[in-house]
Amino acid sequence: MTRRSTRSVSTGAALAATALTISACSGADATGGEADYPSDDITLIVQAAAGGGSDLTSRALAGELEPILDTSIVVENRPGASGSTAMQYVADQEPDGYTIGFVPVEIAMLGHQNFDVDPADYDFLGQIMLAPGVLVVPADSPYQTLADFIEGANAEPLSVANSGAGSIWEAAALGLADATGAQVTPVPFDGGAPALAAAMGGQVDAAVAGSGEVSGAVAEGQVRALAIFHDERHPDLPDVPTAAEEGYDLEFGGWGGIYAPKGLPDDVRSTLESAIEEAATSDGFVETVSSSGALPVYKTAEEFADFVSTEYDRFGTILGNG
Amino acid sequence: MNVLVDGLAPLLDPTVLVCLLAGLLVGTLVGAFPGVTGSMAVALAAGFTLTLEPVQGLAVLLTIYVGANYGDRIPSILVNTPGTPAAIATTLDGYPLAKQGKAGLALVASSFVTTGGILVSMAVFLLAARPIAQLALNFGPAEMFALVVFGLTVMISISSRSILKGVIAGIGGLAIATVGRDPVTGDERFVFGVNDLNSGLPFIAVIIGLFGIAELFDQLLVHRAHVLRPISSLGRWWPTRGELAQMRKPFALGSVIGTVVGIVPAAGGDIAGLIGWDRAKRMSKEPEKFGKGSLEGLAAADTSSSATLGGSLTTTMALGIPGDSVMAVMIGSMVIWGLQPGPSLFSNDPELVVTIAAIMIVATVLSLGISLVRMRGMVRLLDLPHHFLWAGILIFCVVGTYTTTNSMYTVWVMLGSGVLGLAMKRTGFPAGPVVLGLLLGPLAEANLRRTLLIDGPTALVTQPISAVLLVLALVGLATPIVARVRASRRAEAPSERPRAAAGRSR
Repeated sequence: MTRRSTRSVSTGAALAATALTISACSGADATGGEADYPSDDITLIVQAAAGGGSDLTSRALAGELEPILDTSIVVENRPGASGSTAMQYVADQEPDGYTIGFVPVEIAMLGHQNFDVDPADYDFLGQIMLAPGVLVVPADSPYQTLADFIEGANAEPLSVANSGAGSIWEAAALGLADATGAQVTPVPFDGGAPALAAAMGGQVDAAVAGSGEVSGAVAEGQVRALAIFHDERHPDLPDVPTAAEEGYDLEFGGWGGIYAPKGLPDDVRSTLESAIEEAATSDGFVETVSSSGALPVYKTAEEFADFVSTEYDRFGTILGNG
Repeated sequence: MNVLVDGLAPLLDPTVLVCLLAGLLVGTLVGAFPGVTGSMAVALAAGFTLTLEPVQGLAVLLTIYVGANYGDRIPSILVNTPGTPAAIATTLDGYPLAKQGKAGLALVASSFVTTGGILVSMAVFLLAARPIAQLALNFGPAEMFALVVFGLTVMISISSRSILKGVIAGIGGLAIATVGRDPVTGDERFVFGVNDLNSGLPFIAVIIGLFGIAELFDQLLVHRAHVLRPISSLGRWWPTRGELAQMRKPFALGSVIGTVVGIVPAAGGDIAGLIGWDRAKRMSKEPEKFGKGSLEGLAAADTSSSATLGGSLTTTMALGIPGDSVMAVMIGSMVIWGLQPGPSLFSNDPELVVTIAAIMIVATVLSLGISLVRMRGMVRLLDLPHHFLWAGILIFCVVGTYTTTNSMYTVWVMLGSGVLGLAMKRTGFPAGPVVLGLLLGPLAEANLRRTLLIDGPTALVTQPISAVLLVLALVGLATPIVARVRASRRAEAPSERPRAAAGRSR
């Protein structure tokens, strides 16, 4: 199959062609089938509306999975209730490998926020991306470094915008306060962009948002990034130190992976795991994720399941249900 | 000059024209399909356009954005069902006009003011995008709260028959807007263990229910009695010179309101349409006609909701902050194409800015052409036997609503809202204020809470923009009450002309 995301198309008819390729791809290079699976379309449930980051990532992965599994992957958006609608839906499906889903970091948080979501109800098949959190301040802010900011927040409470109540970036602000003793007032907005706008306009003292959301504004000088909550620097933000470099070993990220209802048959499970590994590390997928400002971080099914459970425990502490 | 030529040249590429036409077709269709919004269509199309050249992709996405803004007026005017939330205010006068047999006139007038609104706002984009976009950054939570409170005063003027019933309906809307998670603490409110209710009632399903489905139920119930005559003819098409002159003032007003509201992030055509309609009513010589089939009302509503397009585009391209939900998707696509919207887009890539503006303008002109031509086809649709027509509309509404979440829950909400809407219709409660409450309530609450978290209550009166808007809101509330008091005094005195004053208070 062609690498669609890198191909440059110059004919108008390509619009229709691409539509066909993406929705009904019948690749010639199937990985051969010891079992019958998959003999039918696979539905990939996305917890967010079409057009957002989760949706784009899922569709890019689906495009890579189709030729590998030699079947159609139908991406279905089931937005609502912070993603729990989709999570509960996935948990309720037959574990036959024909329903899988994109699983965001919220799976490790919602259970601590009075939603009926438990990571134990799923089989985790692999992590496919990570968008590390970045702490930004208005361009004219007095704080030049993370240490300045924490010192300032020790003197008086500082407001930190985030993308919504119960969001990963609110948890990051709370986690920062927990770890450093700083006084932080998280201010939830309706999405990452308005939170960033509040930092640009100087209405708040700072904001925490994903790397992809802030990198444009940082490059433009509309906000200043003080630290990235990841173990290494981000290629789009090479001058922004990690929190660890600044002396605070803190990592917060909006990660995503693929999951399925608990109890997949072993052969189905291993087919999916290796297909997801191949798709998530393919050039096309890596490029799509990178160009959106996130990192193409892959973790195997086993590593991912351990990671989810570590994150679940960590958020239990941060969100006060530990 | 070079910038202009370099910016316009890509449009001569035939493939770009094909993309324009494809976007236009998709846009007008999804706009006319109740429940399917422009942002959904753009989001879905974005999955396909990522593989195209940026200019081709922009041609598809921007024309869907423009086309949807024309398509959504059609069901508003013909069957009282807003095609997208931006056409809510269109129903206020558009449907009454259609019921008077002036559907053709309403459609043509709407297309013209929509075109004018987009073009005026695009002129602002071209001439002054960067300085004007800075205005958007001044809109923090306190200013947003004040703007929304100002918007809530529209409740008084859309309560056409009785202010009391309108206010009760509006408070009802505000009350149901509290369902879901608390915007700051994330606590559950009125969720009753129903998981879907965590994200509140689905707004689009409620408006389709309250407006379209309620009308449909009403028509079904009175079908035999022939009390209400569904629209069977489009009537005259072209506005007379007098009617054109009448629309001039609301058009000017709407252009300004729409552009400004469009620039404010997260405020779009739905809010702008309602505010524009309200302001025009307050400035009109014939406010009593508003809501009963006023061309002025239609012109104001459609101009303001369309002028938000250029305003949103300004904020999006000049700041990198999405001006509305369509633009949020657009930024995502542009970033993947390697184009970063923001101040440097204008300095580094002025040709692209010109191309974007040119695509918008060409799309607008083509949309106008298509709407004028295609309207003739609408006549045939309305010639269908009415049970087919209404059944078809019901199917469209169910399918369209279902696609917003892929879940039957949304469809039940829509049908439930339809029953509620019917009950309200029969008891004389207007649906407009409910929608206004549901639309603005969460914005008012969240922004007030943010303001209080950040600066405390004083920010509301010390920030100039917010203080001015709050004063305007107070005036907006007080005027009808004062007018009413004066009217009743006049009525007590040997009455001369009580109607003029009463019209204001209605």
